[in-house]
Amino acid sequence: MKKDSIDMGEAERRITEYLKRFYDAVSSQDGKALSHLFSFSSLSLNTFPDLNRVITQSDEYADILLHLLRSLQSYRLRNLVESYQAFEKAANAFIQEFRNFESAWALEALYVIAFEIRMLADKADRDLAASGKTPEKLKGAGSFLMKVFGVLAGKGPKRVGALYVTCQLFKIYFKLGTVHLCRSVIRSIETARIFDFEEFPVRDKVTYMYYTGRLEVYNENFNAADQKLSYALAHCDARKEANIRMILRYLIPVKLSIGILPKTSLLERYSLNEYADIVVSLKRGDLRLLRNALQEHEDRFLRSGVYLVLEKLELQVYQRLLKKIYIIQKQKDPSKAHQIKLEVIVKAFKWLEIDMDIDEVECIMSILIYKNLVKGYFAHKSKVAVLSKQDPFPRLNGKPVSS
Amino acid sequence: MMNQGGMADGVAAFDPNSLEKHQGEDSIQPHASSYYYPPSSSGGSWSMHGPDIYTRDNGSYANANQNQDQLVDVTPRNAPDTQGATAVASGPSSVETAVAQDYNSYTSYTSADPYGYNNNAGYETYYNGYQQQPNQPYSQQSSQPYPQQSNQPYPQQSNQPQPYSQPVGAYQNTGAPYQPISSFQNTGSYAGPANYSSTYYNHGDYQTSGGYTTDTFSSQTNTWQGGQYATYTSQQYPNYASDATAGYSSTVGAAASQYQQHNKQWTDYYNQTQTENICAPGTENVYVPSTSTVSCPAASASSGYASSIQPSQFSLSSRPESSTSELTPQPVSASGDAYNAYWKHGAQAYQAQYSNFTQTSIDAKTSYQNSQYQQNSTSTQVLDAPYPALHQPPQSYQLPSQPASQHFPQLDVYRGSKLQIPTNPRIASNLALSLPKTNKESPATASVSKPAYISVALPKSNNKASSHDASDSALKIGMFPQSLRGYVERALARCRDDEMKMAASQAVMKEIITKGTADGTLFTKDWDTEPLFPLPTTDVMNEGSLFLTPTSSKSRSPSRRAKSRWEPVSEDKPINKPATPNSEAPKYSGWSKQYSVGKLENRNESGTSRFSLTTQKISIRDSQRPAKRRRNGTALGAVENGEASSDSDKEQDLTAYYSSAVALADSPDERKKRESRSKRFEKGHGNRSVKHHFKQKNEGNGNLYTRRATAMVLSKNLEENSSRAVEDIDWDSLTVRGTCQEIEKRYLRLTSAPDPATVRPEEVLEKSLLMVQNSEKNYLYKCDQLKSIRQDLTVQRIRNELTVKVYETHARLAIEVADLREYNQCQSQLQALYAEGIKGCHAEFAAYNLLCVILHSNNNRDLLSAMSSLSFRRLSPESRKDEVVKHALAVRAAVTSENYVLFFRLYKTAPDLNTCLMDLYVEKMRYAAVKCMSRSYRPTVPVTYIAEVLGFLTSTEANSEDLDGVDECVEWLKAHGGCLIEDNSGEIVLDAKASSLSLYVPEPEDAVPHGDAYLAVNDFFARKPV
Repeated sequence: MKKDSIDMGEAERRITEYLKRFYDAVSSQDGKALSHLFSFSSLSLNTFPDLNRVITQSDEYADILLHLLRSLQSYRLRNLVESYQAFEKAANAFIQEFRNFESAWALEALYVIAFEIRMLADKADRDLAASGKTPEKLKGAGSFLMKVFGVLAGKGPKRVGALYVTCQLFKIYFKLGTVHLCRSVIRSIETARIFDFEEFPVRDKVTYMYYTGRLEVYNENFNAADQKLSYALAHCDARKEANIRMILRYLIPVKLSIGILPKTSLLERYSLNEYADIVVSLKRGDLRLLRNALQEHEDRFLRSGVYLVLEKLELQVYQRLLKKIYIIQKQKDPSKAHQIKLEVIVKAFKWLEIDMDIDEVECIMSILIYKNLVKGYFAHKSKVAVLSKQDPFPRLNGKPVSS
Repeated sequence: MMNQGGMADGVAAFDPNSLEKHQGEDSIQPHASSYYYPPSSSGGSWSMHGPDIYTRDNGSYANANQNQDQLVDVTPRNAPDTQGATAVASGPSSVETAVAQDYNSYTSYTSADPYGYNNNAGYETYYNGYQQQPNQPYSQQSSQPYPQQSNQPYPQQSNQPQPYSQPVGAYQNTGAPYQPISSFQNTGSYAGPANYSSTYYNHGDYQTSGGYTTDTFSSQTNTWQGGQYATYTSQQYPNYASDATAGYSSTVGAAASQYQQHNKQWTDYYNQTQTENICAPGTENVYVPSTSTVSCPAASASSGYASSIQPSQFSLSSRPESSTSELTPQPVSASGDAYNAYWKHGAQAYQAQYSNFTQTSIDAKTSYQNSQYQQNSTSTQVLDAPYPALHQPPQSYQLPSQPASQHFPQLDVYRGSKLQIPTNPRIASNLALSLPKTNKESPATASVSKPAYISVALPKSNNKASSHDASDSALKIGMFPQSLRGYVERALARCRDDEMKMAASQAVMKEIITKGTADGTLFTKDWDTEPLFPLPTTDVMNEGSLFLTPTSSKSRSPSRRAKSRWEPVSEDKPINKPATPNSEAPKYSGWSKQYSVGKLENRNESGTSRFSLTTQKISIRDSQRPAKRRRNGTALGAVENGEASSDSDKEQDLTAYYSSAVALADSPDERKKRESRSKRFEKGHGNRSVKHHFKQKNEGNGNLYTRRATAMVLSKNLEENSSRAVEDIDWDSLTVRGTCQEIEKRYLRLTSAPDPATVRPEEVLEKSLLMVQNSEKNYLYKCDQLKSIRQDLTVQRIRNELTVKVYETHARLAIEVADLREYNQCQSQLQALYAEGIKGCHAEFAAYNLLCVILHSNNNRDLLSAMSSLSFRRLSPESRKDEVVKHALAVRAAVTSENYVLFFRLYKTAPDLNTCLMDLYVEKMRYAAVKCMSRSYRPTVPVTYIAEVLGFLTSTEANSEDLDGVDECVEWLKAHGGCLIEDNSGEIVLDAKASSLSLYVPEPEDAVPHGDAYLAVNDFFARKPV
């Protein structure tokens, strides 16, 4: 009994101190201090007295604090679902207050809330899924953040925070697989003329560019993807290797598909070895190596969504192979080098242990010509591919293979 | 029913304000409920063998002929009723005439029927304007023929009928929407009035005799319990009470309460009341005969009053329900079903038998209850509240049934009311009101006075109770025996106030029900008569406290009104009966009410007794002067209604309860408001409930089984969840279990809840699937069959390997005929089923899905997810080696690399269904290939090569076929703008360079503007509207 009462007294003291810090932060408009108070990781309130008794006195922010502390309480008790629900209430109450703030001093705290609610929802969903229920909290967090975005997206000083919330939304949408929901947010960010994109904080810009770049990869819009991911790479803090690696994981396939190969040292530095074989296969025209590499990392590529991009590199490998044949022929007999017989190509594939009959090879030649990876034409009667004498294998030079 | 629902809402609306005030009323409810319960022993017999009892009763009366007559009459009445239902306006008149004839033939009973008519007429007039009574054909006609008859046998009854008639009139007046209902009601009222009067009489006699009264009560209560929980019981109670008052003061009070209830209901909810009345009449008719026969004439006069008003209806209705629930009375239940159907559709007139009437009325009421329940259901508390309220009333009633212990019962009721009050506003208010009144009265006028008060309060309480009941019924609709429900409710009502008790009672109930289900007695047991298990604890203290508080604050208004209306009559009641009827009857249309009011005021203290007296007088008068009665009755009813409405509007809850007090006070505006209010809920809730009942009826006895089964589940649920929120109900347990044994069944999209009789159980579905699989018929037939199988599976929530098999079968068939819509439905279901871990041809359908995505989606993310579902991680190596899977993956690669040669090779070697899916992509692939060739080939490409590479040739060997294929290819190329020339050797070749500029995709011949040939909207446009 005695110990309990002491604990209760101690807990109450801590709560009171917490409340004091909260009000101090609000009154002094100290966003940083306030943000700490919303961060679950930095809070060490373990026992909780009767919250209603403690907090009802403080009327102004009672909604926020009551739910926040309840959320904390549930969090400590590992009841994540309830914790999330309480936190969302607290966050909603905070949004109401934030709306009324003249300046954007509390943005820091809002960031923390946006982050915490996402993490909390994620954890709660895991709990829900484990107990056989429908995980829906992350979705709920998404709609909450959408609301936050609405608060920030308007004119004024608070707009700076919009990109952070957008990025949190991206993370949720990518996790949920509801990527299509990103579109409205992106439109709002990119069409707003009143606010220069460059005025957003760098970290948000990098994150934003990373996610939008990924979206472009999905759409096989390689030029745009290249531009966005390159931007992200260029502005990413060089010390954040994990982030750079994440960017490169998408940027490399994009670059490959527009004909730009990375240095081996880059792959090694960021341990992106899954691309090493692919790069080699492109250099050598080794179709077998490419196919093996794809098969080996199929699952990873499928999950990250670059599988189809990498698969399309086959055409470039064909081109490389043809070019090699062409070069060899040229060395033998320059006058007939531009005429490549189908059977030669079939033979080359056989050496690669790839079984392709002459019709298939003819089809591939036709496609290569059609896609402008090979200049020339194919003569069906003689089964010969006639290459242009000028630049028979045009380089992509940063342009994707035409479809 | 719909109307009732609306009324309930209206009550609810009022309640909040008047909660406290209504506490007295609440107490009234308890009484009513108590009535139900006490009679459990005798009531059981009633409900079970309503018809039998009837006959017996008649015999006892010594009017064996009457009984027979009644029965005969019933059939005719039914027929008229049905007619009326079909054509509201025309129907009534014809029906009435027919009924009148029937009634004439009847001796004593016939008179009752006329009353019913008269009542209806009166109501109508009332609604229209109080004075307009004569306008309605119904009332006039019916009143003329019947009143006389009725007067002879049951003068008192005539008074009661009047209230009924008024509702009917209201319907007619209101107009089209209600008219059908009104017609129904009229029919119901025909039968009903007679019954009512008879029942009342009986009661009155019994009560007078002493031991008799209790018996009758118990029997009635039983029936009531079974049928209607809240509304029914309450109404019935009032009737009983009135009867009692006729005989004894206590019973009189009950009758008075009924009256008030009726009045209130009528006034407040035209529609609702009407519907209820309709139901009630039918039921009343059936049962009343028996009761009337038993009871003495004198008693009948007074009782007839009360009964005619509505109590009789209630009792009747309750009985039917009980019978249906019990399943014992096959004829009755069947008729009841028919009745329900009749109600809903107004089409069929099966109700030849009284039982039918009663049942129908019951059903209607139940449906009504359901509707109310739905309304209530929004708040779980409300639901809970209704139960307790109901329960409590029964308890209190039991006490009243015993003459000596009447006061005590009242006290109990009070307790119940108080307890209820906190939980459910509506109920609580009702209870409280009734209780206070009773308390005051009881001290002042002893037993007699108390009952009167109670009775007054009861009407309101009844309404509320009915709503509650409705809610209850909604929960369990047709799921388990009504009698059991009533039993549970009773049990729970006892401990409404006390959570501890509640929990304890629930536990006990749970045991009882599980035991019942275990030994199969759940549905055979007569729960109406089943004695309640002893309560864990007693609430003496609560009772006392309740007593004091409610009486002081809330009793006032009730007493006032009661006085005004009833006093004169009540004083007269024993003595006046004979004299008053004659003198008063003639003028009475408007007068009776006022008269009664005046007297009531005088006798505030002895309100209950007065009440009963007044009712008796009125009834007597009516009976004596049929024509006048009608008028009087209508007038009375109108007055009462008007009063009730005005009261409710003005004083809201309290006034509503004492509508009688404020005679003629009601304003048209208020009425309109109420009407609209009540209408709000009619369609939604009322219809639903009706549908439900209808279905059940249609199902007939066969359904009873399923009903039982569901009921058992439900009852279990209920017990377990009685304290829980509605959302917490385990819907799994409500799942339909089919009984249909047909292997073949046409698909029909459900527009309402599934009917177990038309749903096939799993074993049958298995056979059905086999049948379809082996069927030689075309796809349309198979698709139809499979869809119906799927529907049955879904409805029964069967999700197992059979389900997977069905969907797989259908998906394959759909692929075969390129029915992508069905295929997609099956595919998405299959994915969900596989995700649940149910075994099936997962890999195969993942392959189909991949093919589908490749061919029909340009979304790379979809493709990626489809591919990843076929990746190593998701699929076992064996299934990955599956030919279909391998093939699908190869096709995917060919498509993404645009390798047409590979694609058409795979096309030729594809497993059957893959071919079907690839078929859908062939055109696209060919066009892309030709385009590609025209760009890359120079100078020409031989058509034979194109035909070979692009899959025009079915085989590489047969020459004749090759030629056909080549011709086809030529046609195809021409159709797509290819430039074909003959080269030097005479071979047809494609001029690549020329073609590269001229290729185009022709419009598909079967293209539809909106892209879906299935919709074929053009057909509709082409047709000119006739």
